[in-house]
Amino acid sequence: MRFHALALAACLVLPGLAIFEDDAYHVDYHHALVGLPKHDTTFFQQPYAGSKASLLYTLSQKQVIAAVNPKDGALVWRQRLSGQRGMLRAGEEQDTVVSATGDSITAWSASDGRLAWEARMNGATVEDLEILEQEDGITNVDSKDAIILLGGGSPSVRRLDGKTGRVKWVYTDTSGDIPFQVSTSPTTVYYISLHTPILGGSKLKVTSLSPITGKKLDQYTLSSEGEIQSREHILFAGANTAAPLLAWTDKSNKVLKVNIIGTKGVSTFAPPSTDVVEKIILHAPNRVNSLAHFLVEYQTTAGHSAEIYHVDLKKNTISKAYSLPELGGKGTFTTTTSDANVYFTRITKDELTVVSSASHGILGRWPIKGLPSLAAAHPVHGVSEVVVKSGSASAVRSAVLFSNGQWVLVRNGEVAWQRPEFLSDTVSAVWAELPEEEALAHELEVEGHQNVFAAYIHRVKRHVRDLEHFPAWLQNIPNQILSNLLGKSQENAIGDIQHDTFGFHKLVVVATEPGRLAALDVGSRGKLLWNIDLQQYAPEATFVRPSLKASRGYVEVKDEGFEGSLLVNTTTGGLLSPKDIDLQPPVTSDAQTFVAFDLVDGELKGFFGTDYSSDPVWTFNPPDGEKIVNFASRPVKDPVASIGKVLGDRRVLYKYLNPNLVLVTAVLKSTHTASFYLLDSASGELLHAISHHDVDVSRPIPSTFSENWFSYSLTIDSTSDPASRGYQLVVAELFESDIPDDRGPLGASSNSSTLQPSSATGDVAKPYVLSQTYQIAEEISHMTVTQTKQGITSRELLVTLPSSNAIVGIPRHIIDPRRPVGRDPTTSEATEGLTKYTPFIFIDPKWHLNHKYEVIGIKGVITSESGLESTSLVFAYGQDIFGTRVAPSFAFDVLGKGFNKVQMLLTVAALFVGVLFVAPLVGRKQINSLWTM
Amino acid sequence: MRASHLSLAGLVSIASAARFVLHIPTTQVVNPSTLTASTHATLQSSGPPLIAHLTRSNTFNFYNVTPGSYFAAVHCRDVAFEPIRIDVSLEEIVEGSGEKKEMIRAWQTFIGNEWENKGESRGEGGNGLVVEVKAIGQKYFFQERSGFSPLSFLKNPMILMALFSMVLIFGMPYLMENMDPETKAEFEEMQKKSPLGGGGNPAAQIQNFDLASWMAGKTDQGSSSRGQSPAPQSKKRG
Repeated sequence: MRFHALALAACLVLPGLAIFEDDAYHVDYHHALVGLPKHDTTFFQQPYAGSKASLLYTLSQKQVIAAVNPKDGALVWRQRLSGQRGMLRAGEEQDTVVSATGDSITAWSASDGRLAWEARMNGATVEDLEILEQEDGITNVDSKDAIILLGGGSPSVRRLDGKTGRVKWVYTDTSGDIPFQVSTSPTTVYYISLHTPILGGSKLKVTSLSPITGKKLDQYTLSSEGEIQSREHILFAGANTAAPLLAWTDKSNKVLKVNIIGTKGVSTFAPPSTDVVEKIILHAPNRVNSLAHFLVEYQTTAGHSAEIYHVDLKKNTISKAYSLPELGGKGTFTTTTSDANVYFTRITKDELTVVSSASHGILGRWPIKGLPSLAAAHPVHGVSEVVVKSGSASAVRSAVLFSNGQWVLVRNGEVAWQRPEFLSDTVSAVWAELPEEEALAHELEVEGHQNVFAAYIHRVKRHVRDLEHFPAWLQNIPNQILSNLLGKSQENAIGDIQHDTFGFHKLVVVATEPGRLAALDVGSRGKLLWNIDLQQYAPEATFVRPSLKASRGYVEVKDEGFEGSLLVNTTTGGLLSPKDIDLQPPVTSDAQTFVAFDLVDGELKGFFGTDYSSDPVWTFNPPDGEKIVNFASRPVKDPVASIGKVLGDRRVLYKYLNPNLVLVTAVLKSTHTASFYLLDSASGELLHAISHHDVDVSRPIPSTFSENWFSYSLTIDSTSDPASRGYQLVVAELFESDIPDDRGPLGASSNSSTLQPSSATGDVAKPYVLSQTYQIAEEISHMTVTQTKQGITSRELLVTLPSSNAIVGIPRHIIDPRRPVGRDPTTSEATEGLTKYTPFIFIDPKWHLNHKYEVIGIKGVITSESGLESTSLVFAYGQDIFGTRVAPSFAFDVLGKGFNKVQMLLTVAALFVGVLFVAPLVGRKQINSLWTM
Repeated sequence: MRASHLSLAGLVSIASAARFVLHIPTTQVVNPSTLTASTHATLQSSGPPLIAHLTRSNTFNFYNVTPGSYFAAVHCRDVAFEPIRIDVSLEEIVEGSGEKKEMIRAWQTFIGNEWENKGESRGEGGNGLVVEVKAIGQKYFFQERSGFSPLSFLKNPMILMALFSMVLIFGMPYLMENMDPETKAEFEEMQKKSPLGGGGNPAAQIQNFDLASWMAGKTDQGSSSRGQSPAPQSKKRG
């Protein structure tokens, strides 16, 4: 059990650097997101037959299947699928939900999300998936089979066993038509395909199949070529209703044609109003035993209306029953079945109404108590559960997706919970200062630019103005003391952002892929402050991947999709024009110029200033056809507390501290090589190069740079049978010289330049690079380093482990490249805290920042200093949002929860009592000793 | 239960690719039925790893595994599992027959060692092989706060020493008082004989007791108690 021994050894050398149990869930926060739910794959369903409560299931646009508890919005389970265009279906009274993406059909246990069965259709893509509710009118309660439609070369319909996923029968379509959908009725399986002649639109071809044998029973074609030009024109191909429907429209939404599948008749309807209809949506119940009623929703630019139709099963006719009046603004409808009855719920911004499909009388009406977060949004789609007692709706709950990306559960008109699902598309995030701090910084700057007297007057005025907060502060003191003594967490009590003594409150501005911008307050457990659509500021732009840059008071948004940049106020989310911002005076004098660099056409180029059109100052092109995949540079703000490293014998190794260092990662696919080049970005000079072989270059190679050290991680490729396998973490540290107390070739000179090396040395001062490689058990997808105010606190390497769904902080001393190899550390090395090198780093669960949370799909982690030197703020984004605070050298400058204030007071009191008793004793003794002298 | 997942594995049969099952047995360390749905297994060799989700029967099913040497790991939020090396190869069952069949071999492996450095075998066989994955232990994420408890305070050796000397200082004189006269005389005789034994009367000693220096940690016992073992003279007695 060598592994165990190693793990144990690793555990022993480490000091406990974990999260305290009472801090967990208080200092950190996690938005376990699903992604925007899709309309046809979201439903309420009992997790098993006979269950009293139902769960809310969804397959989102991010291909995540999730079960959400409708009570509080908590996630019960979720699974990420690969592939595009997923489908999710559930049979009535089944304990599984069945999903399909790409070529795989998977049944998941509905209550706990475990895999029930999986079927792979090699190469083919699943076009549609239905559950066979009834077979010849009889419901098979035990397990309901799935009917799938496969696309690809030869489309086929297959029936899969509901218990094992085994194929029961196959019907192959050789006509060359485009497969569209399958639909089932109690007696027949319908396969709908699009027959497209060379010219004109598509005809709908319906093939009926026997559910038992899969043999073709009948086939007919509907002449829809006048209307259907593309797939979007087919509105609905009805799932398991007693009378499945097929509805389509034309390009301009001027006509609605409905066919009862299995019959050849087509009913034609016209939209109710003369306004241009933007969208027609058909809502129909999907249960076998429900009434054959359906609702057609017409959306116009001004409002929305609906008409309810009834299907006469005997005569095979469709007739309009009644219509719901047009309402201004946007809204949506949901369908609910209860026994055989069908109810439609109309959800608008302000109101929720329930009607029965049979008559137009309103069964229930609830005004929606609006939340500020939903103010500018409208409902997009939703699902509902309705309880109807004696002819009136007594309760209704609807899970509604709003246009601002919030998934909200409205229970009887009140918002029970909301999930900010739009955040799952986050692609970039930046830290922004709070408005109060910005204001103070501005005031101080004003003082700095005045003469002494004016500055003094200004400061006195400012302090007098600050006095207005004094009474409130005074009033608050008793409360604060009380809550402190009772050990209540102060952080949670902070309502407004002003009382932020420790600087834990900061804003993070995030941008999502579809062009949404939002601000989160990291001090209030990631509370959403504002959320805007960038489209409103740049109507003609399409956002691809917005990038952000924070400046004082505003955030600059750039995107490939449009020219220039947008300036957005960090406090309100409002648009600023460049003239609103008083441009800061340039920090540098005119004599100084900056060299900026970027990746241009696969080469790294340095330019004077930010003008990328001019000729580059330097160009770096890796040798042998290697391709640059990534580069990492030191953070803009990277304070270094000490320029040297003090050794055990009191000598000093000087750090190579160059602010312009860049680490370039280049790969060569054919030879499985990854090379790393250390450049000076001012001169473009190559300082150091490392090359690794047997690297799987198709996997992520993250790298990071901080202070005088950098780190990167690799996956070893198995094709050439390397000696070791798995994943490697490499850490390298740069020193001015390998000899202690020596400052290298530039030691004596007071000035040096990387652009013009001094004649004495003849060459640029190259760093002495010390590196060590460690084996780790898991792949790293992203890495970064903690940041603190002064840089005194030791740093921690934050790595994202996608397979464990974790973010781990590896202490710096564990990955110190100066760990002695092959021998025990000497006494002086031991005093430095160095331990013997072990090739394997065991990732201690105590290093997990996310502890019991599971963070999935993390794209990036950003860190920031807080008001305390000991503490660094961490924010991770991607599919999930996660944030926490880390103290790599323990919280040495703040009292933690372990500090018992009551106990301290008791100790003081006890000592005081002790003094009272002892004082007379001592006094008597002193007098006695004077007398006996 | 085993039979059910074996039959599951038997569903897909592709000629040139192996299939096998990783199974988590119920042990004292872990009850696999309590594991979260996010538990999954990865099979890494080159390129993106193969991923299998946890099934209802506590297994991970891998299909269509091409021949090669794989690093298998089970990722779970609450429990750590040992890593496994799995080799898939095509072999002739009967030599010279030309008919090739998949062979799956599994061993324990050690991260940070050579890949050839294999541990115990974890199974060997054809398609549908079941490899058991052992749980190493529960993961503990949190650090205990060292709280205050009077018992731990009393366990401190310094405190114990102080308490002991306190008992001697205050208790000894009273013990002496209560002794019967003969024994007392004998004891005093013994004290006088002792070259280092200090004289004086115990009451005066107590009054001369320097509490301040005692509290400062100078456990100066000789001056305050005659009953003690010999101790240097108190400097306060001058």
